[in-house]
Amino acid sequence: MLAKLGKRIVRDRQLLIIFIPCLVFYIVFRYGPLYGLIIAFKDYSVFRGIMDSPWVGFEYFEKFFNAPEFWQLFRNTFLLGFLTLVFSFPFPILLAVLLNEVRVAWFKKGVQTASYLPTFLSVVIISSMIIDFLSPTNGVVNKVLNMFGVESKYFLIDADWFRPIYILSEIWTNSGYESIVYLAAIAGISPTLYEAAKVDGASRFRMMFNVTLPSIMPTILIMLILKTGQMITIGYEKVLLLYNTMTYEVADVFSTFVYRKGLLANDYSYGAAVGLFEAFVAMALLLISNYVSKRLGGNGLW
Amino acid sequence: MVGQRRFGLFDILNAVILFAVACSTILPLVYITAVSLSDTASVTQGKVFLFPKGLNWDAYKQVLTDVKIPRAYLNTVMYTALGTFINVLMTCLAAYPLAQRGFIGRKYWMFLIVLTMFLNPGIIPNYLIVKDLGMLDSVWALVIPNAIWTFQLIILKSFFEGTSSSIREAAKVDGASEYRILFSLMIPLSKPALASIALFYFIGHWNSYFIPMIYLNTDSLYPLQVVLREMLVFSEDTGSRLVEAAALAPQAKKNATIVLAMIPVLMIYPFAQKYFAKGVMLGSEKG
Repeated sequence: MLAKLGKRIVRDRQLLIIFIPCLVFYIVFRYGPLYGLIIAFKDYSVFRGIMDSPWVGFEYFEKFFNAPEFWQLFRNTFLLGFLTLVFSFPFPILLAVLLNEVRVAWFKKGVQTASYLPTFLSVVIISSMIIDFLSPTNGVVNKVLNMFGVESKYFLIDADWFRPIYILSEIWTNSGYESIVYLAAIAGISPTLYEAAKVDGASRFRMMFNVTLPSIMPTILIMLILKTGQMITIGYEKVLLLYNTMTYEVADVFSTFVYRKGLLANDYSYGAAVGLFEAFVAMALLLISNYVSKRLGGNGLW
Repeated sequence: MVGQRRFGLFDILNAVILFAVACSTILPLVYITAVSLSDTASVTQGKVFLFPKGLNWDAYKQVLTDVKIPRAYLNTVMYTALGTFINVLMTCLAAYPLAQRGFIGRKYWMFLIVLTMFLNPGIIPNYLIVKDLGMLDSVWALVIPNAIWTFQLIILKSFFEGTSSSIREAAKVDGASEYRILFSLMIPLSKPALASIALFYFIGHWNSYFIPMIYLNTDSLYPLQVVLREMLVFSEDTGSRLVEAAALAPQAKKNATIVLAMIPVLMIYPFAQKYFAKGVMLGSEKG
């Protein structure tokens, strides 16, 4: 056994040398932080380091569960994730189905190119456009409202508006890019299905609902499981840019809390504990959605 | 389904909807650009919509003579170039051995690598690693901890697997080492695939603000996105007082900075479209 292994190592020695940087990278930067997570159970101090800081068990978790913010964070994270999923999920499908009906190649290509655009803009630029357009002093949105006799409104400090603004911006940013998956699925539909439908006298509108949509249902389901599994992984980079003390009550989520407590206030152990809790809930969601989908007879992710 | 009919009501309605979709993504950028080219009076009076009023380049002159922005732009260019180079090199070094069928421990390596896509330790442990390695407040914090995106590694690996193994065998018979095969054969042969992964890395570096924001403390090291954030977004760090940054920086200058920040990305992404489908299909998660 060992001799055989030794032989293989000798045979693959050049490949192994090439592979070393990758190995080091994954050990240090992907598995290293997992080891670092033990500070969630320790009272980490910068001077003592990870190893020598004293164990405190579940103290930081208890602190978090008893924190006045806990239920607010829990509710905000789930609501924001869930509402974003529910409202944004249909858009890429709709876009793909409509694009599929376009018979003029250049128009289709043009719309597609335009729809991908927001995905490639940085969060900072997108957020700044949102702030700009919604500005109470010279934002476009308020200018239009004024024309209809509605008074200017400071949307970004109004807690009622945070979720709609966030969700709309997510739809705007991601729908085009996400439609690619569905377009690929539609491209795989056998043309004979459409021909048969045409012989039966189906209109193109009917075909959309009775041929195209049912044919891409498996893809839709896979995407739904994936999205449900990632539901609470909120785009905190955007939330950080758009929220403020006036909207914390709806906008503050686990990850933004981790950033504030852990990095801004330097309470590393507390931040790590909250982050671990979030990762745990996210993993549970992924496993559950995969399980449910399999039980319902659909495809799982694995 | 090629046109047996002329364009009907359905087509017209469809075209109108899709045209509106395209406008919704393009018009905001047109507006931003128009404001950046207009004079201040027209902007504050709200006269600017899709075409600049009082066309001038003052805003761009202000940006170029600003104390922070040109420096930040240069930083971004350097970080992006260095970062993308390291990304592509590391991804090649990782993908090549993993693409060899007989490579020792291949299945286990792959399992351990893919597993990291599902394990997310969170911001704090990542931060502590970077801190403990003494990388804080340096370029390395931006380019090393994310040197390989697992997702791009998988794409490149499957591309390497797809290239003919007979070329490799022939090179081996001729006595070429694995290093030689990788650098003189595989990499030149894989230019299209490398271009596509380089593009995603490029955009990732160019657009990133959170990582530089948490890892850098020195103003002169800030990349453009971090400076943009300071200019544009509520200054939350200065206290609970709500200051709308819009009131602090003149609109045209802000928008000129945005336009300059967008230009490279806007020039590049349309050429990469053919690669998107492949990328998205494989699962769309960055490692």
